[in-house]
Amino acid sequence: MKINFILNHQPVSVDVPPDTTLLKMLRNYLGITGPKEGCSVGECGACSVLLDGLLVDSCLVLAPQVEGREVVTIEGIRSSDGGPNDLQKNFIKYGAVQCGICIPGMVLAGEALLAKTLHPSREEIRNALTGNLCRCTGYQQIVDAIEATALERSLITEQQKG
Amino acid sequence: MTKLDYIRANSVHDAIQLLGDSSWKSRPLAGGTDLLVQMRLETPAYNRLVDVSRVSEMKIIDIKDGMVYLGAAVTFSEVIESDLLNRIVPFFVEACRSVGSPQIRNTGTIGGNVANAAACADSLPSLVCLDAVAHLKSLKGERQMLVSELVIGPHQTCIEEGELITHFTFRIPPPNSKSHFIKIGRRNAQSISRLSIAVMGGVDQQGLINYIRLCPGAATPKTVRFYEVENYLLGKKPEETLFVEAGERTAQAMIAITGLRWSTRYKDVALRAITERALCAIFLNENS
Repeated sequence: MKINFILNHQPVSVDVPPDTTLLKMLRNYLGITGPKEGCSVGECGACSVLLDGLLVDSCLVLAPQVEGREVVTIEGIRSSDGGPNDLQKNFIKYGAVQCGICIPGMVLAGEALLAKTLHPSREEIRNALTGNLCRCTGYQQIVDAIEATALERSLITEQQKG
Repeated sequence: MTKLDYIRANSVHDAIQLLGDSSWKSRPLAGGTDLLVQMRLETPAYNRLVDVSRVSEMKIIDIKDGMVYLGAAVTFSEVIESDLLNRIVPFFVEACRSVGSPQIRNTGTIGGNVANAAACADSLPSLVCLDAVAHLKSLKGERQMLVSELVIGPHQTCIEEGELITHFTFRIPPPNSKSHFIKIGRRNAQSISRLSIAVMGGVDQQGLINYIRLCPGAATPKTVRFYEVENYLLGKKPEETLFVEAGERTAQAMIAITGLRWSTRYKDVALRAITERALCAIFLNENS
């Protein structure tokens, strides 16, 4: 079955069996290995992607369901020079990355939150990460990185307003 | 996964034609958060998924003639973001907020939660409290059923082959009423309900209870209003001793239905406590 959709800002077309999950289509048919297969039942969030801007578990979305829609994976999150963006830099700065398997999902969960608000409380940040499990960091550093990015982005937005 | 076909429905009419096509064994797909997990675990008894998640008629949240109209493909996140539902049925919104994770709430739907009919389904107690009616459609026609009668047990419903829940309707609760939902899970987030309770209530001008609906979740195989407890509370003056007694009667009513089970020792105490807390929150303005 032919699926046409926008992947990381580029139109793509791919032929997959209709019962393929979005996660499998990304990893096995498109070479997009940022989303990880963790639990496969929507508990761990390692396979998180943005679907039309909303955070979803790609293991629980069927590939044909994204026809005509927009998918952003960690591969689509970067600064204009192609390097890590501000949030990703803060993940490094605050020591939020250890083994790394949860990080693509964590960054996308962070971006999904920051798209909604640049003034989240720590509680709101923690709530935004409830669908993403990390077994290394204990979450504090990840919350710190998102909090710092929110502050930086809100300052930039204020400066732009003048 | 075995060979399974997929087709997207663009309208309710489209969906029921596809679901009723006897050359396939079709099953509706909405958010997929339960269905895709089940597909991994067992060989599906169907060979085609009819995707109804983008049917615009099934995404409507509206009020018509004092009735709330809630499309079956509305997601938990859409419920949480609805000003209308926050104003009219805050306990239903609270229940939706307690579902899974942001990822699950962004895709999972109310229709799917009811049709999957898990005993711990978080939307059920408040929908049952509201006497919500499920509207079903198939090639044979339309029918309506109370959610409390549609769901007959854990993962069991009266939804027939080829039938689709298109939407739910319920009457706007009276203006003097307040509502409350409490859920107990094993952790703060992404938890499955161990037990929950949905309550709505209000008092008359004399300050006596004249409106009360009470429905525990994950307590009994069939999610139902506890009429005997409601009747006990009607016409009485709200006070803490009354609600302690109501909690005890709610727990007794649960045990009368389920008998003594391995979990009863826990559920007995816990159900008393959350019933009392929910009633105090509504009638005595106590936080819980």
